[in-house]
Formats: sequence, C-alpha cells, structure tokens
Amino acid sequence: MYYFPFKKVSKKIEPILFVHGTGMDHSVWTPAVRYFLRKKREVMAVDLPGHGKSSGKPISSISRFSDKLFRLLDSQSVRTFSIVGHSMGSLIALEMASLQPERVKSISLIGTAFPMQVNEQLLEFAKSDLEKAIDILTFMGYSNQARIGRNKNPGIWMTESTRRLMQKSKKGIIYNDLLACSNFEHGLEKAKKISAKVQLILGTNDYLTPKIKAKNLIENFKDPVVKEIEGSGHTLMIENPNKVLDYLIEVL
Amino acid sequence: MKKPKDLKPNTLSLHAGQRPDSDFGARATPIYQSSSFVFEDTDNAAGIFNAERAGHVYSRITNPTNAVLEERISALEGGVGAIATSSGQAALVLAITTILEKGSHLIASKSLYGGSHNLLDYTLPRFGIDTTFVDLSKPNEIKKSLKRNTKLIFGETLGNPGLDVLNIPKISKIAHDNNIPLLVDSTFTTPHLMKPFLLGADLIVHSATKFLSGHGVVIGGLLVDSGNFKWDSSSKFKTLTKPYKGFHDMNFVDEFGPAAFINRARKEGSRDFGACMSPHTAFLVLQGIETLNLRMERHIENTRNIVDFLNSHKSVDSVCYPELEQHPDYELAKDILPKGCGAVFTFELKGNIETGRKFIEQLNLFSHLANVGDAKSLVIHPASTTHHRMNAVALKKSGITESTVRLSVGIEDCEDLIEDLDEALKYATKK
Repeated sequence: MYYFPFKKVSKKIEPILFVHGTGMDHSVWTPAVRYFLRKKREVMAVDLPGHGKSSGKPISSISRFSDKLFRLLDSQSVRTFSIVGHSMGSLIALEMASLQPERVKSISLIGTAFPMQVNEQLLEFAKSDLEKAIDILTFMGYSNQARIGRNKNPGIWMTESTRRLMQKSKKGIIYNDLLACSNFEHGLEKAKKISAKVQLILGTNDYLTPKIKAKNLIENFKDPVVKEIEGSGHTLMIENPNKVLDYLIEVL
Repeated sequence: MKKPKDLKPNTLSLHAGQRPDSDFGARATPIYQSSSFVFEDTDNAAGIFNAERAGHVYSRITNPTNAVLEERISALEGGVGAIATSSGQAALVLAITTILEKGSHLIASKSLYGGSHNLLDYTLPRFGIDTTFVDLSKPNEIKKSLKRNTKLIFGETLGNPGLDVLNIPKISKIAHDNNIPLLVDSTFTTPHLMKPFLLGADLIVHSATKFLSGHGVVIGGLLVDSGNFKWDSSSKFKTLTKPYKGFHDMNFVDEFGPAAFINRARKEGSRDFGACMSPHTAFLVLQGIETLNLRMERHIENTRNIVDFLNSHKSVDSVCYPELEQHPDYELAKDILPKGCGAVFTFELKGNIETGRKFIEQLNLFSHLANVGDAKSLVIHPASTTHHRMNAVALKKSGITESTVRLSVGIEDCEDLIEDLDEALKYATKK
C-alpha cells in the first residue's frame, strides 16, 4: 500500500496515519502532512487499496480497509499511532480505534456521521453512470459558498479539482467506497469502546454528512472534542485548510 | 436524485472566485494593491512558505485580487486552477517552461500570432528548446514531426490571421497517444465560444488583453490547467514527477495530484521569472469578464453582418471567415464553434498595397492599431505590422498577402461600421 511520504517510518516516533475519503487519495492531506513533517513528526498519508498509487481491488467493507491498514502498520513495526480520517476515512479510524484501542492515541474524525447511509440512487449512479455520481459527490461535497469559490489556496478552483481527483479513480472504486460507508454497522457500540482521545471536526453546511448526524457518535464517545467550522461543507480540508490544521495541531 | 445544476456561464462570469468582502462588505472585488501580506507569527510565516498553510506572501507569486480572476477563468474553462500573468506572451512562456527544458522539442501550428512565432522560432532555441512548425490540420505532418523529446503540441483555437479552426479532438488524440499534452491559445474564442478542455485540450493560454478584458485598457495573460493530463504516464515530465530541489524536494504529481502542473508553474515560474499581473490589471480583467458573454454575442452579431457585407462587395476579392462555405474549416467550425468563429477576420482587397494603405487611412470608426478584441472596432495590415518579421515563405504559409486586411469587429452599432467600411472602400478603389 502506498503512503506519502513513501519512506520507512522511524520506530521512535508515533506516526500520524491520514486516511482519505471516497474516491480520493493522499494528496488531499498535503498541507497538513507538510506541517507535521516540518515539525519532525512521522506521517503516513495512505492511498487506500485501489486508490491513487495503491494497487488492489475495490473494497466494500470498512473492516477490510481497517485490516489492510493494521497490516501496513505492522509491516512497519508501528505499535501506537494517531489517526486522522475524512468521511469514509473517519469510519475506518473509528473501526481501528475500537478494534485495538490500546494502539491508538487519538482519532480526528473530519466530516463524519453515523450511520453514513448513502442514497440508493447515488449508489446506483456510482455503478452505472459514474460521471453523474462524481457530479453529485462534488456538488454535495462543498458548501453553497464554496461552490462560488474564493479558495483560501490561491488560484485553485475547488470543485473542479475534487471532480478531477475522483475522475482518476479506477473502475469500481467509488461504488465500493460508498457501499463500505453504507454497510458500516455498530458505530455507536464501537464508539463506546474507544479509549483514545477523540476529536470531531464538522462543517455546519455539510450536505453529505450533516453535523446533526454526528450527534449519536458524539454522545457515545468519552469526552470528545467537537470543533465546528462555520459555513464549511463536507470537504473541510479543502474549504478551510488552515482551520482544520489548527484543530489537528491541538490534538496531535 | 436529480443531477446537480452547476452554475451557468453568465453567473460564473459575475461571481466565480469572489464573495462579498468580509471586512467591509464590498460587493465588487477589492484591489489588494499590496506587494506583501503580514504573517500572524513566525510559525505561520514558515507554514505559508512551506505550502502547508493557504495564504499570500508576495504579489509576484499570489495576490487576493489576482486569485479571484484565476478562479473565475478556471471556473469558466472548467479547469482546476490558473495563473494570471503580465501578458499573454508571459502565460505562453510560463506554460512552456514549466514542462520543457534545454533539449526539449515542441510542435506548433505554422499559423500563430506573430509574437508567439517570434518566441518559438527565434528566442526559445537560444535556450535549447526547439520548435517544428506544421500544418496542424494534417495529422501526418504532426506524426512525422514527433520526436523522442517532443513534450508539447501548441496551436491557436482560431489561427492568426487565417482563422484555421484547430481540430482539438483530432490533435489531442495524437498528442495523448504519444503522452504529450495539447496547449491551446484560446484568446480569439474565449470560454464563451469554445471550451477547449471539453474537446481534449490540456492547457489553455489567454491574452486577457483582448476579449476577456475587452476594452483595450490592460496587458495581461492567463494560464489555465485542465488537471486532465496524466503527467506520470511517461518519464517525460520530470519537472512534475521528480523531487524539485528548488522547493524542498517537492514532487508535484505526488503532492498536488490533478493540480500538479499549475502548482509547479506558480512555485517555480511565477516565483523565478516574475511575470506577474498587477492587481489593478486583474481588477480590470474581472470587470471585463463580467460582461464577456454579452459582449461576445454582440461581437459575433456585428461580425456576421460585416462578413456578409464584405463578401458581396465589388471591391473585395475574398473574405476569410470559417462560417463562409469557401473557408477550408467550414464544416469543422459548424461542429466545434456553433456560437460563432470570433470577431477577428481578414479579407483581401482588390488592388495593391497602395489600395490597402488608402483604405486603412480613410477609415474613421475603425482604429488602426496592433490589437484585437477591443469593444471598439480595429483594423491592421498584418504584412507590415504584426507579422512583419516573418519572411515571404512564412507569410505565404500563414495565408498573408500584401493586400490582406485584418479587422477586429467591435460592439458599435453595426450600421455605422458598415457605412465606415463602405466609404473607405469607395475611396480606396476610386480611379
């Protein structure tokens, strides 16, 4: 499995594992990764199997993604670590932290919800009309304001960048990612098992995982820290990269 | 679940990239006439320099007013990002130097704006970048010109001055089959008439001096990245696929994915060559883009009327406009330029160079100057001005003769323009 930066992780420093969402890859984490690397932290921003530079067939189960990540960490002799996950990646973080709570120091869940039930028609589009599914995901992935632009990152048109990233997805990846989100079960029970520090970063204008749908999770975590970004949509790291980084720094 | 409706071109022309100013509520885009921007603290400064925090450092590289323009043109073209430059020429240089280096080769249309021709034929060879000029309407010529070190194909959406219509679908197929991107100059067409990325182009340059700003008051350029080209599909594009020592070993494809090209162009080209647009210019281009679609509709309407007038005038030998059946790209234009073929075209006067001189000097509303795409109508004699550095062979290849006159049709009342042309034609051909 590919991760950025692709180098052996030092055993002396606990790494931060960055896990992207549906149809994306490690490049969505570039600003945060660069920050933590400058601060001499170990970072692994993964391309989940079948995504970005990682080979592998599509996976439709959060637990299988989680299993693959544990194997990656074991292969690097990583014992304890922190996880930052966006959207589907947040469910993977939840799964990992509930399965082996002793190994996970903190989880930061960005744009999360439980259940993360995907609209049936969107799933159907992801199978039969991928461009339409990408259009919907891109559109719903941003707040109304962000669709007009004014990117904090100068000169980059947010929605088209995200669309292009998804268009690079291999066949079946987006459909199976969405299925994995829909299939994820027992999230509240899993939340209760977590002993790691928990942080949720939510957008108040998130149309894919509205903040109200994170309420159950919040109630089942022990002492979660909840950060809301006013006006932000689902793709928080792109819409509000500086605020997301500030919040991550507080935990990591 | 219905397909979401993206904002339409007129709306994007007015809004993309800008929201009302958060400090004072200004509705118009403020002009951030500041060379540099204050950091919150030393760590914030280091973060912005290291591309881990979004923000502005120095207006040579980014500026908040320019950023609005960059997003707006990206939105209109359907690209992932853009860079505003000091001129259209600067945008072209930035596009080329981001992916080509000493020993690289590119293929370009033989029908180019004279300034672009100068750059490719005379200047870039001094830096080890060579160009083969071909007729891009002939696929075999393109294929024959391909070399191992060919890294770019470049043409104008409407060739200058013969208005050859660039067959982007066909040319991009040849380019992509050979792992080469297609760069197009879309100055004459603007996003109103054509969306080159939808047809297969990978990169676009604009002279914003022309229709985008539209009033002949600025010099500026734009470089837009579609984000479509797979830079890592071959080993050709090391500037994007290998660590760059000039920016902490940044690997642009790895760190920016689809926006690799435009990030390298900014982090190297804008930083080091320094051909940035002034924020005031960006503001004026934005003002122009707000009415781009309205103006282009009027430009086209007037052009069609004037083309009809000249095409049936006894003193005119021929008119070169792709909407006329005699134009070699008539069918292609119908297919990929249904909204019009621009507002710049040439015609041949009956007579000699003296007839042309008298005609141009007699015009009253058409201004004799070296520009196109102004709201006001313009005229020029290419052989003695824009293309005067080309030798006779190159001129002939570009379809220019001594009696060629180029018009850039503005948005005045068309009856007045036709009357002006008619009177000048009568005067010039009077025996």
